[in-house]
Amino acid sequence: MPVFPSKDWVASFIEEINRNKKYEDAAKDWEGDFNFVVEKDQKFPETVYIYLDLYHGKCRGGSLYKSNEAPKAAFNYSGPYQNWIRLIKGEFDPLKAVLVGKFKLKGSMMKIMRYTGAAKELVRTANLVDTQFQ
Amino acid sequence: MWYYRTPTVVFGEDSLSFLNTITSKKCLIVTDKVLEKTGIMDKVRKQLPDNTRVMVFSDIGQEPTFSQMTSAMDSIRSFGPDHIIAVGGGSVIDTAKVILFRYARPEMDIYDLTPLEHLGIKEAAKFIAVPTTSGTGSECSWAAVVSDEMEKRKNELASAEILPDYAILDPSVVLGLPPRQTVSTAVDAITHAIEAYVSTWRNFYSDALAEKALELITGNILTVLQDPGNTEARNSVHIGASMAGSAFSNSQIGLAHALGHALGAIFKVPHGTAVGLYLPAVVEFNSLEVGERYDRLNSIFQGPFRKDCLADTLRHLFSKMGQPTSISGATISMDSYIAAKQNLEKLAMESTGVVANPRESESGDIRRLLEAVMN
Ligand SMILES: [Fe+2]
Repeated sequence: MPVFPSKDWVASFIEEINRNKKYEDAAKDWEGDFNFVVEKDQKFPETVYIYLDLYHGKCRGGSLYKSNEAPKAAFNYSGPYQNWIRLIKGEFDPLKAVLVGKFKLKGSMMKIMRYTGAAKELVRTANLVDTQFQ
Repeated sequence: MWYYRTPTVVFGEDSLSFLNTITSKKCLIVTDKVLEKTGIMDKVRKQLPDNTRVMVFSDIGQEPTFSQMTSAMDSIRSFGPDHIIAVGGGSVIDTAKVILFRYARPEMDIYDLTPLEHLGIKEAAKFIAVPTTSGTGSECSWAAVVSDEMEKRKNELASAEILPDYAILDPSVVLGLPPRQTVSTAVDAITHAIEAYVSTWRNFYSDALAEKALELITGNILTVLQDPGNTEARNSVHIGASMAGSAFSNSQIGLAHALGHALGAIFKVPHGTAVGLYLPAVVEFNSLEVGERYDRLNSIFQGPFRKDCLADTLRHLFSKMGQPTSISGATISMDSYIAAKQNLEKLAMESTGVVANPRESESGDIRRLLEAVMN
């Protein structure tokens, strides 16, 4: 069972994204890469980036990066480690979590507002990964 | 964690006189050309304190675009209002929201008007909404619909910071609302209550508001249609519609709005007519997930109108009200609807209405819902 966050976890996550028909359907026109930023907190010492290259309903690749090495992405979805755990466990609605300040979303708002369904499905795919937490 | 947000609501007969109590040196009234010439505007102006200077912006069409909404920003900025009062239906109130946003943040783009950004606009001017229709709920919501003519779409923008400070629900301003508008706006309000009640973002506040809203609207709308001057019935529908607006604003809209916004963007069907067209089919689709909640709502309808399930009750009530339940009834030709289907599906899928709908929907589901009203 891969540990969150790790390179193995990201690989499993990408597999799940590419298996997820709902995501593929909702994001069939989507073009743009994403960074999931896991910010440091009391339980997690160093911020890391999960970079995902997303294109037309599929993830073409991605990996885990330290914050100073991460590629720039069109969108950043970031929050502290503790909140990521709750999100992956399905305790947070991905969009509501932004509205109440548990997560931050940066990027073209025009684009993201048209793909809220796809963005929600993408984040929810993380629930599907059999995950071990640190 | 979630919020319950509402303006201060001033309601009931004579509530326009609240305007007498505000302290305003310069007041911008946002309205439309039709209302500007009616007695309603005179009533509003008369209520304002004597020393208040007034500027009126009324250049608002049926489905205003961002550039139309903001066409007078230079003169508004040089006037420098401390209050913005919207007097009108949903488009007028939404325009006032956009004006407030641009007045406070001229450097920002239209798409920055999202709940994901802190705008810092609350201090720019006090914002009062006086709805002259009973349905859109815009006076109690933090959403604004802005048409995009180039792209033929309706952008659903939102921010807690554009929620009005005050909503004034005076029944006297809706007594003269024409029957067609009375129907389409009431259908919009019924849709707000029902979608808010089953949304995955529902909560105790939105539940309470949705239930009472449905009771007030469905219990009085036929009386209003038979006797338009009935102040008591008008007052009930007016308050109910506002409660329904507050319900969806504190919860979420659903698929009927996703589909209705798509239809309205392409065919210029009035908003309430468009969302109501799809509502019974959406209720049937969602029943698998929220059947019990729909049963509870169904029990709110008065005996003579209630059928075995909510979708049938709605079809029955809508037929009595004159609300179409198929595209032919909405005077859209079958050929043009079929030609637009793919585009409608794409627009609906891109709507925020899909996010918190109680049943997950894929493009195939959206297609079937679009087809459900083709009979
Ligand atoms: Fe609506």
